[in-house]
Amino acid sequence: MTALPLWVRRPSGERVGWLRTVDHKEIGVLYIGMGVAFFAIGGLEALLLRAQLATPESRLVDPSTYDQAFTVHGVTMILLAVVPLLVGFANYLVPLMIGAPDVAYPRLNALSFWLSLVGGIVLYFSFLAGGAPDTGWFSYAPLAERSFAPGLGVDYYIVGLAVNGAGTIIGAINLTVTILLMRCPGMAISRVPLFVWMTLVTSILILGAYPALTAALVMLFVDRQLGGHFFDPAGGGQVVLWQHLFWFFGHPEVYIMVLPAMGMISEIIPVFSGKPIFGYRFVAGSSVAIAFLSFGVWAHHMFAVGLGDTENAIFAATSMLIAVPTGVKIFNWIATMVGGRIRLTTAMLFAVGFIAMFVIGGLSGVSLAVVPIDLAVTDSYYVVAHLHYVLFGGTMLGIFAGAYYWFPKMTGRLLDEGLGKLHFWATFAGFNLTFLPQHWLGAVGMPRRVFTYAASTGWGPLNLVSTIGAAILAVAMVIFAVNLVRSLRSGEVAGDDPWDGFTLEWATSSPPPAENFPTIPAVTGRRPLWDRKHPDQRDRA
Amino acid sequence: MQAYPPIVRPPAEAIGTLALIVGAIALLIFIGVEGALIYAVWRYRASRSSTEQPARFERNTRVEIAWTALPALVLALVFVLMLGAMAEIGGAGVEPGLRVRVVGHQWWWEFGYGAVTTANELHIPVETAVELDLTSTDVIHSFWVPELGGKSDMLPGTTNHLRLFARRAGVYEGQCSEFCGIEHAWMRIRVVAESQADFDRWLAAQGQSAAARGGDGERIFLANICVNCHTIRGTTAAGAAGPDLTHAGARATLGAGVLPNDVARMRAWIADPQQYKPGALMPRVPLSDPELDALAAYLVSLK
Repeated sequence: MTALPLWVRRPSGERVGWLRTVDHKEIGVLYIGMGVAFFAIGGLEALLLRAQLATPESRLVDPSTYDQAFTVHGVTMILLAVVPLLVGFANYLVPLMIGAPDVAYPRLNALSFWLSLVGGIVLYFSFLAGGAPDTGWFSYAPLAERSFAPGLGVDYYIVGLAVNGAGTIIGAINLTVTILLMRCPGMAISRVPLFVWMTLVTSILILGAYPALTAALVMLFVDRQLGGHFFDPAGGGQVVLWQHLFWFFGHPEVYIMVLPAMGMISEIIPVFSGKPIFGYRFVAGSSVAIAFLSFGVWAHHMFAVGLGDTENAIFAATSMLIAVPTGVKIFNWIATMVGGRIRLTTAMLFAVGFIAMFVIGGLSGVSLAVVPIDLAVTDSYYVVAHLHYVLFGGTMLGIFAGAYYWFPKMTGRLLDEGLGKLHFWATFAGFNLTFLPQHWLGAVGMPRRVFTYAASTGWGPLNLVSTIGAAILAVAMVIFAVNLVRSLRSGEVAGDDPWDGFTLEWATSSPPPAENFPTIPAVTGRRPLWDRKHPDQRDRA
Repeated sequence: MQAYPPIVRPPAEAIGTLALIVGAIALLIFIGVEGALIYAVWRYRASRSSTEQPARFERNTRVEIAWTALPALVLALVFVLMLGAMAEIGGAGVEPGLRVRVVGHQWWWEFGYGAVTTANELHIPVETAVELDLTSTDVIHSFWVPELGGKSDMLPGTTNHLRLFARRAGVYEGQCSEFCGIEHAWMRIRVVAESQADFDRWLAAQGQSAAARGGDGERIFLANICVNCHTIRGTTAAGAAGPDLTHAGARATLGAGVLPNDVARMRAWIADPQQYKPGALMPRVPLSDPELDALAAYLVSLK
């Protein structure tokens, strides 16, 4: 295994291996590996769904398989792919960026990872134990109650998500404490890199949101296994209670998945524009505003439930408000580029792609906050399109940007730029071909979560286009996989600071030593490495 | 007939107009932001300004306040327009001219007009404000016919209300839009909008009981487990778990949209419902070929 440059030796020279490691960088790599593996599995599930929907009244997969596939696809991508990928980057980068030797609680960090992974394995074990959950990722009661979902699939969902969530909560505590207490001398909280800032906000969001999910899961478990009636109207329960609890978690979860990716491109855009971020305080402050508001918008997932016009109008207002701080970020990123000297590396291309696609997801999101429009298109393919513009067009493009940007730090080698650009353009084309037509399909009446549709609906051609797009997207992912494997083995050697970076992770070797920095650095501004390289043009403190 | 006064728009039109306005605003913002993004990347790319040092400006509070306040103002405008449209789709105080009881079942629809019960095919008069009282007997379903109105979830233990309005006669299609289990995809809704006179005739016909025919088909139906779930008014069959079949032959489809309704398809459907709608709660009934022929002919004859 000596060819793998990912190994980090202990100061003593001892190598403890992946199972016993408590090094934040190795745990970060483990998280990223978990995310990549589940992203591949979730992607294959998505391809199965698209293959089935390519033509009307298709019998390629039976409805039961289809329902398991879309349920597990959603849970996998959200909780087992995107969150671990983002937590992995945070784990790897936060201590480096704040000039710390590790996270605050390294052993707890290992526990977080293993709990997250075991949760995922428990969920997937359901396939061997008689059938995966088939009630959708938000698993509404009473469909998820035992009378309508008698198999064990939903029980695996409950246990898997609860264990995975425990790992995520513990990880969030660790990162919060690390960021608040372990910054190097001179790094005031107003000087931390924006990725660190957004990781802090995300961690606090996790601490507020995930417990609501855990509570809901426990209640559902009591209903299913211990004869409870929390969500059973016949026993005095309320079916809507599940939705309130789930979305109280579920909407902040969207920002848990988006904010760290926004943090990534807030690092990447300034470096490749050769300029400091425009409006640091507004970019950072708008994250706090988003986090705060995100706890007050959950019922916009429930406009069709019949909560009443007053409640719906209030949640519409808060949901629209959240567009304001989101817009502020987009304007600041563009202003960062203005007047700069833009190097269009693959990382920068993906960062620009993030903005371009996230704008579409953000605008369709505002339309969904408008109650009458939501009543037309909620639970349709319009929502499927919207959420993928946010989570793939936004978050995943941000993660790809981060991958191209930080891969050399993690491995010592650069990813290939030629393959990278091919990866970007194939992703861009495949993504838009897949999801743009789904807006129209939803608007004309195609509900989400249908295993097929009548030929008489006329939805066939656009579904075929969408499936072709998914195939192109799959090719793009293969290109990325080839790039990863090839560059890991024989990529160009990166050196410590291949991008002329601004932040502390570029001040140490690639990959960094176990203790990160030979001596704890001290900083005087927001761009410590810039200050070091340009002592005559230091940033104002 | 209870038409809307001209000042109140029916629900689908209120939604459509609002969607157009919000869509136009979104399109303008889209063009502006994407244009600015593409311009910035193109204008400041390194290959174009190889000798220029990048600028160092990094803050401008006035600009920040402007691009915080302007979107907030646009959203405030959208919010006001939204409140107007919400009142309109709720009926804006207009009394409905027809009220229909809708009950969601896994995976079919029950429609009730007073004492008259039918399934899967909703008939409404044109130019009339129709209010649906929606509930469910099992899981959550959602009623959606895009051309006639918004959607409303149907929850067990609760009654929700939804306004529909059709300007023109015709058939409007929709389907359940809240995932409700294995046959969610085949829970289609067929709405027949017709003139008040046609609607009255249809309702009067639906109100008739089936005259006892005494034929083989009827005998087979009544002698088998069909009666546990289905009702045929005028006979002893009074099951309530499946669709009312008193006028089964008058409907255009079988299995909530999965097959067209004729004798051959009816026969095939009864012979093996699971082949067409896997997971449907209707079991296979072991019947001989001649029995199937007679039963299918009988059911389709119930116009």
